[in-house]
Amino acid sequence: MKTMNKKADLPDARDAAQAADLLVTVAETLNARLAVTAEELARSQAMLREASDELMTAFRGAADRLVAAQREDRGEEASRAAEYGPVLDHLYRAVQHLQSHDLVNQLIDAQKLRVDKMREKLGEALTLATPPVSEPGSAEQWIERSRAMLDCIVAGIRQIDEDTRAPRQDKKHAGSVDLF
Amino acid sequence: MKTILAVDDSATMREMVAFVLESAGYRVIEAEDGAQGLDRAAATACDLVITDQNMPNMDGLTLVRNLRQMGDYKSVPILLLTTESSDSMKQQGRAAGATGWLVKPFDPATLLEVVQKVLR
Repeated sequence: MKTMNKKADLPDARDAAQAADLLVTVAETLNARLAVTAEELARSQAMLREASDELMTAFRGAADRLVAAQREDRGEEASRAAEYGPVLDHLYRAVQHLQSHDLVNQLIDAQKLRVDKMREKLGEALTLATPPVSEPGSAEQWIERSRAMLDCIVAGIRQIDEDTRAPRQDKKHAGSVDLF
Repeated sequence: MKTILAVDDSATMREMVAFVLESAGYRVIEAEDGAQGLDRAAATACDLVITDQNMPNMDGLTLVRNLRQMGDYKSVPILLLTTESSDSMKQQGRAAGATGWLVKPFDPATLLEVVQKVLR
């Protein structure tokens, strides 16, 4: 890529070729950074998922036992509430925090999808810069190439915004209820 | 025993909802998207449906609209339980025929209060 402007002898063509080179360098650098981000996101998600799975297993064990005990217990409602109420309170608190784990997992999924799609588009844009231009002395050809790359990148950004469905967790409204 | 259909593409979320409702004595059946929810609702008479909004195959609002077209679910309460909290989405929910809108993460005690209220 670095040598693509060597044949561009006319001043305008040289500038246009340098601009195209610069665009390629930016796209390559950005793609490399995104690859690192994608890897870090995948690692974070794997760690979170492992922790969530362990927590869910522990939660499930306690929850199943409690629900089964409640079903078998034929005692008075008041005494059942006194017996199971405190344990239920603890499990209910766990329910709230386990939901947050789940939402964070979904959020990371959405971010990973965004990063992967952007990498895909940057890769596509870079392939547009691969074939040699037929007339290196023509500024127009270099400009056309840069424009095609930029169009591809911009289309990718638009597509990402349309496609990605990240959970929109809004702390202000979390837990709110509207009955119609 | 009242039967509640819980629809969510997240297994964890379904499990949380099921635990809270079962601990209060309800029977819970689960579905992982709107399309499966519709099938389950057709196969089992449910007293209440709690559904997420953003799911593959069929979203929550489409499920509500489809359920409202089924004779047996014309007046069955349907709650949306979702991370979506915008007024425009809530209005769409109301127009589709939903009974209420709860924003995740939910508080178990509040969920039970709402369930008791709409089942009354």
